Amino acid sequence: MNSKLKKLGQGLLVLLLASSFIALGIWQLHRAHDMKMSSTVAVDTHIYPLANLASPTGSIPPESIGKVVSTSGHYIAQFKAPHQKDGKGAIADWDVALLQTDTDTAILVVRGLWSDRLASPEIVMSTKVEITGTLLPHQNDDKAENTAQQLSRLDSSLLTGMTQTQLFDGFILEKSESTRSGAVTRTRIETPILTSGVPGFYWQHISYVVIWWLMALVIFWLPIYSRRGNRIKP
Amino acid sequence: MTEAQTFGALARFRLMAILCGVNLLLLIFGYMPAKHIFDVVQTHQWMVFIPVAHGYLYIIYILTALQIGVQKKMSLPVILALIAAGTLPFASFIAERKIVKKYS
Repeated sequence: MNSKLKKLGQGLLVLLLASSFIALGIWQLHRAHDMKMSSTVAVDTHIYPLANLASPTGSIPPESIGKVVSTSGHYIAQFKAPHQKDGKGAIADWDVALLQTDTDTAILVVRGLWSDRLASPEIVMSTKVEITGTLLPHQNDDKAENTAQQLSRLDSSLLTGMTQTQLFDGFILEKSESTRSGAVTRTRIETPILTSGVPGFYWQHISYVVIWWLMALVIFWLPIYSRRGNRIKP
Repeated sequence: MTEAQTFGALARFRLMAILCGVNLLLLIFGYMPAKHIFDVVQTHQWMVFIPVAHGYLYIIYILTALQIGVQKKMSLPVILALIAAGTLPFASFIAERKIVKKYS
């Protein structure tokens, strides 16, 4: 009787452990699947008001990244952002402005190439501009030295001491801008290809799937192995 | 079991214990601080190969541990300890030394 109970207990333990490992493998498989899906950027051509997708009090929500937004306001500062890479991999110095919006907040906008910065002299600080562009997260790595006229990276936290307005996290890569006089024509920056995470993590999760399911197989195999007897202790 | 087969299984286990151990040290003392303290993995994306490699090396390590365990008729706790050694820093080096000392 005791022997039967012991065997039943062992069987239940094996089932519990094996099913736990299988479940962990399935969980990792779902994570791998989610990772793959999140790297596929859906094309969304809808133009959203900036305030609907982000607020100046926090970081940009992941689901808002890469969306086309529109806003309006006045450029209150201009910066050079050196050694920036566009969607085609071309490295150039970019013309970046701080746009103070109508709601007394501000966001960094990439207007175009630094070499074209004098192409629209009609835009001064008092000129109201309406812009549309791609909303992108702030950069983490410095590409140059940070000075009063130059941004080491596209990150509004570098400007916190410069302005009293509330700053949005991230920046807008302009697709178009217009004033009362009409659209401003200049070369725009190609949007970088968006990746939602570090590539390679998909295969990391797949390896964990294999490990968990292999462990489940080992759990099923161990009782058979132990029944063969004649084990020696190392 | 021929001596050649035993030698082969032992050599495979030693190789994987060392590779897995080195990779685990890189993972814990290199990749983890880079990701969670310095936040530089996004800018040094080659580092992602460390956890990916660890996943696959550990699979092979488990198989070699099972092979040597079965061949040497080790007890269940010892086999499980060998498998677990691949997940703890320095433990696979200790396991490798102990197994080599006993069976070579």
